[in-house]
Amino acid sequence: MTYSTYEQGTSAVKARKAPRAPSESRLAAILNTPAVILILVLLAFPIANSLWISLHRYDLKRPGDTPFIGLKNYTDALSSDAFWHSLKVTGLFAFFAVLGVTATGIAIALLLNESFKGRGILRSLILLPWAMPPVVNGIMWAWIFNGRYGAFNGLLYDLGLIDAYRLWLTDIKLAWVVLVFAYVWNQLPFVVIVMLSALQAIPNELYDAARVDRANTVQAFFNVTLPWLWQALLIVLILQTMGALRIFDIVYVMTSGGPGNATDVVAWLTWRTAFQFLDFGKGNTYAIIVSVITLALAVLYIKVLLKRGEFAV
Amino acid sequence: MTRQPSTTPLRYRVPWKKIAIYAMAIIVGIYILAPFTWLIITSLMVEVETLEIPPHWIPHNPTLQNYRAFFDPEFRGLEMQRGTMAYSGGSVQRMRPALRNSAVVAFSVAILNLTIGSMAAYSLARLRFRGSRPLLVFYLGSRMLPAVSIIIPMYMILRRLGILDNVLSLIISYTTLTLPFSIWILKSYFQTIPRDLEDAARVDRCNWLNMMIRVFLPVAAPGLVAAGIFSFLISWKDFLFALMFTATDASKTIPVVVAEFVGPGQTPRTLMATGGVLAVIPPLILALIFQRLIVQGLVAGAVKG
Repeated sequence: MTYSTYEQGTSAVKARKAPRAPSESRLAAILNTPAVILILVLLAFPIANSLWISLHRYDLKRPGDTPFIGLKNYTDALSSDAFWHSLKVTGLFAFFAVLGVTATGIAIALLLNESFKGRGILRSLILLPWAMPPVVNGIMWAWIFNGRYGAFNGLLYDLGLIDAYRLWLTDIKLAWVVLVFAYVWNQLPFVVIVMLSALQAIPNELYDAARVDRANTVQAFFNVTLPWLWQALLIVLILQTMGALRIFDIVYVMTSGGPGNATDVVAWLTWRTAFQFLDFGKGNTYAIIVSVITLALAVLYIKVLLKRGEFAV
Repeated sequence: MTRQPSTTPLRYRVPWKKIAIYAMAIIVGIYILAPFTWLIITSLMVEVETLEIPPHWIPHNPTLQNYRAFFDPEFRGLEMQRGTMAYSGGSVQRMRPALRNSAVVAFSVAILNLTIGSMAAYSLARLRFRGSRPLLVFYLGSRMLPAVSIIIPMYMILRRLGILDNVLSLIISYTTLTLPFSIWILKSYFQTIPRDLEDAARVDRCNWLNMMIRVFLPVAAPGLVAAGIFSFLISWKDFLFALMFTATDASKTIPVVVAEFVGPGQTPRTLMATGGVLAVIPPLILALIFQRLIVQGLVAGAVKG
């Protein structure tokens, strides 16, 4: 492994222009400065600031009156039924959304890994949901599941599966099922693409070996395919879970947390607390609690990635 | 790349498997296409037709008047005569500045990402320096921050800077948010480029900046395009930040305007559907043109270490 890099080699040449050729670490420092400054100012500082604000009573309705109250926002949050309810709703949503999108995604990836006519078209088509902004996705599904004029009701009715129209989005039990449905459709391409590329990386020799051992399709799937997919699957699961825990856009346009508080997810509660009730202290506290929960997932993800990095190259 | 039939030994040569595959392919195709097709069909309807029970699967009087309404401010169509244009006019007029804002923001974010991102990515891919590993973790970690936890303090910073309700606030925040991901995919692409190129440039007595602009970046073009498209699309699709940082037509982007269509009986559904279709078209065109790059980029961004 040679690290003979550009700058070392050119130092003699460059000496004419620059009095001292920058060393590799100096060049690296220069190159990383803009990115690091931007991230420190607009990501790291806000996080620290957010922690700080969460220790204060910071209510925009009472300007100039922001006393330090220690952990009171946290104890309030943890004893608030609304917050626990939103955690429960978010967790349930994330569980079913991740389960749905992963299972459907793997099924479609397996299909697209087979050879059949029109596979190329289907592989292009799968990018369509990815191109759709979540807000448009939400509006589209809300219109499809519209209780009075919706296409879904019309379809089920035409097929004779229901004898009366259903109010999907205003039914406490059905509303979040519709949310999961809309979310899965939107997120599917990512899962399919990652899983498909993992499938394509499986060496064919393994399947030859499995055939020699007289393994059937199911056995080959569990003994050859699945172990190879494991790493990609883990990454998909982590990223999808983090995404689902942050769900906001489609809740905003489809249910507004309703009916009642049936789909009052954490991001929605945070947004309302901060920007409708103008209680930034409490809003920040909710945001921090959620961040801590997703932090564990983030650490896991980084570990998986960097571990792979050592094997690569 | 893909397994061919002849080299797929576990394939059963019984017809029912083929039948099952084609049946599944058709189901998947319908599942992906049907919702969007319904949105397009709705956008081609006259407003009253959307109120039919059961729905008309094919519009009886298909019309492009909804699209015309968005692009021709003087246009007064059938809607007007039925009195619905009175309140739909507002949303129609807001769509054009929103398209412009979205384009300005997304393009600027993409350009900034490529400039700042490829600098950092080059150092991570090529240079050996102390602290490169912590820096890597720093970038990766900042990719993981939930938007809700930074948006409130970010809002306060932007308010202090006095650039709320200004496309600048969106450009800055999206650039920061997308940068870690761009650095990541650029780095993994840069690592695939042979070092010989830089060595050759060195022999030609070319300084670092010249080498980057004339030799390295042109070769890395596919990676740059992928990173550019991702930052463009993330900015184009975002709703949460745009919702908080914008207030008027001076800065509102498409998702915000489209979301405003959803009110208690505010906007005719046909116009809402039309707005939705219009918001999808630019990303969709990019996705179809650069399909291969996007697929590679998505995989590299998520999976490669």
